Amino acid sequence: MSPHEDRSREDGLPQDPQDMKLMIHALVDGELDAAAALAVERRMAADPELAAEHARLVALRGALANVQRPVVSDDFLARIAAIAEVKDAEDAAEPATAKVEPLPQWQQSNVVEMRPRASRWFNSFDWRQMAASIVLTAFLASGATQWLATADNGSESFAVAVANGHRRSLLAATPVDIVSSDRHTVKPWLDGRIGVSPAAPDMAKDGYALLGGRVEVIGDKPMPALVYRHHEHLITLVAAPRQNEAKSVPVADDLSAGGFFLVHWTDDAFSYWAISDAERPALDDFVVRFRAAIIANPAAGSPG
Amino acid sequence: MAGAPDGGTVLSEKMLAARFAEVVLPHLGDALSLARWLTGNAADAEDVVQEACLKAHAGIAGFAGGNPRAWLLTIVRNASYTWMAKNRPRSVVAVGDLADLDDVSPPTDNDADSPEAVLIAKANSAAVEAAIARLPQAFRETLVLRDINGLSYREIAAMLGVPQGTVMSRLARARGLLMTELGGRDHEPA
Repeated sequence: MSPHEDRSREDGLPQDPQDMKLMIHALVDGELDAAAALAVERRMAADPELAAEHARLVALRGALANVQRPVVSDDFLARIAAIAEVKDAEDAAEPATAKVEPLPQWQQSNVVEMRPRASRWFNSFDWRQMAASIVLTAFLASGATQWLATADNGSESFAVAVANGHRRSLLAATPVDIVSSDRHTVKPWLDGRIGVSPAAPDMAKDGYALLGGRVEVIGDKPMPALVYRHHEHLITLVAAPRQNEAKSVPVADDLSAGGFFLVHWTDDAFSYWAISDAERPALDDFVVRFRAAIIANPAAGSPG
Repeated sequence: MAGAPDGGTVLSEKMLAARFAEVVLPHLGDALSLARWLTGNAADAEDVVQEACLKAHAGIAGFAGGNPRAWLLTIVRNASYTWMAKNRPRSVVAVGDLADLDDVSPPTDNDADSPEAVLIAKANSAAVEAAIARLPQAFRETLVLRDINGLSYREIAAMLGVPQGTVMSRLARARGLLMTELGGRDHEPA
């Protein structure tokens, strides 16, 4: 056994030459962790054939980068965007037009002009396209969330921010900054970070397990957020310390943003925003139980 | 507390439209690109992607988090094969063939040297595209998902329903074929 083979055996890489080449591909693709990448680079330095494979791969990647990507034409974009718009318009149109007598031609076109979304799409192809391009232009110029935020009032944009935070947490490795089902851990952690913390009851017995908490930054303010799990779904509860001038919302308010359901309500100290990808009834049930849990244990409800 | 049923439906349609705009529209370029390489032509790709987007819209409520691009591309891939089975039944590779292809090892490169890498790097895009188009379907699909669409091994494995090791060997095989062709080596791999 040569010293070279001894060293190869220690680095944890495959002995088979073909498998070793797969590792070179994985290195070029950025699929190796730092330790494995280092081991592969060492092998490459000692083996001209592996080094040549690496050089060819890098060259190939350069060649592939020059392959032309299909252009998404405005027309095609509009056609695809219209898929969602069409369903929307048709649903809104059906009940509204059902009882109304057919209008004379000139009036009909008037209606179409004033209420583009309520018109049947096959009667108004241009409108459909135009509506879609407006959506798309806004989308391309500033991102869909920006569009959502500017299209509505302040509480809507807050809702969008909450939705974005929730979406980010779904994409992140972990949805929480501090993992704990114990409110005696979560509350002090939030207090220590941002000086304010909502009640954090664990409602596992009701089917809503407290996963932990995180800090959400909305606008320019850090706000405490609690994360609950309900079956396969996560519920994020953002608790904004209530401002004096903030309007009271005693009963939960229905909202939606970014494709998620939202419930908004205020209690004594906080303005709450609950958001989830769970079904609507589950979220409502969560809100009822959360509020009941706070009333049952008011001491836990005082801010920070 | 819950909204009226009617209001709820309208709200949810709006919500779904917003989610469609966020999840689907940004990845249309990737969708077209994948469909173009799977069907072999740009005009068909638009039809396939439009069909895939209809399916995506129907299923958008089921999408919660995860990677929107990989999600959409999975639908586009399925739509591409459905489309080809209908329009070009003879070009579809039977699933049984794929396992055999995976056993083929990449070509050996004893004459590997830097002039070859230079040739590969200088290959014009028409030659590269022709070489990709000539790849067997299973290799082409993996190569396009990785090198054109930029998906990770894990995402490709999940999409194709094969182990990551299979993704790696298909990718290496596909690239081996391209390198052989573009690098000007005259011997054909076994």
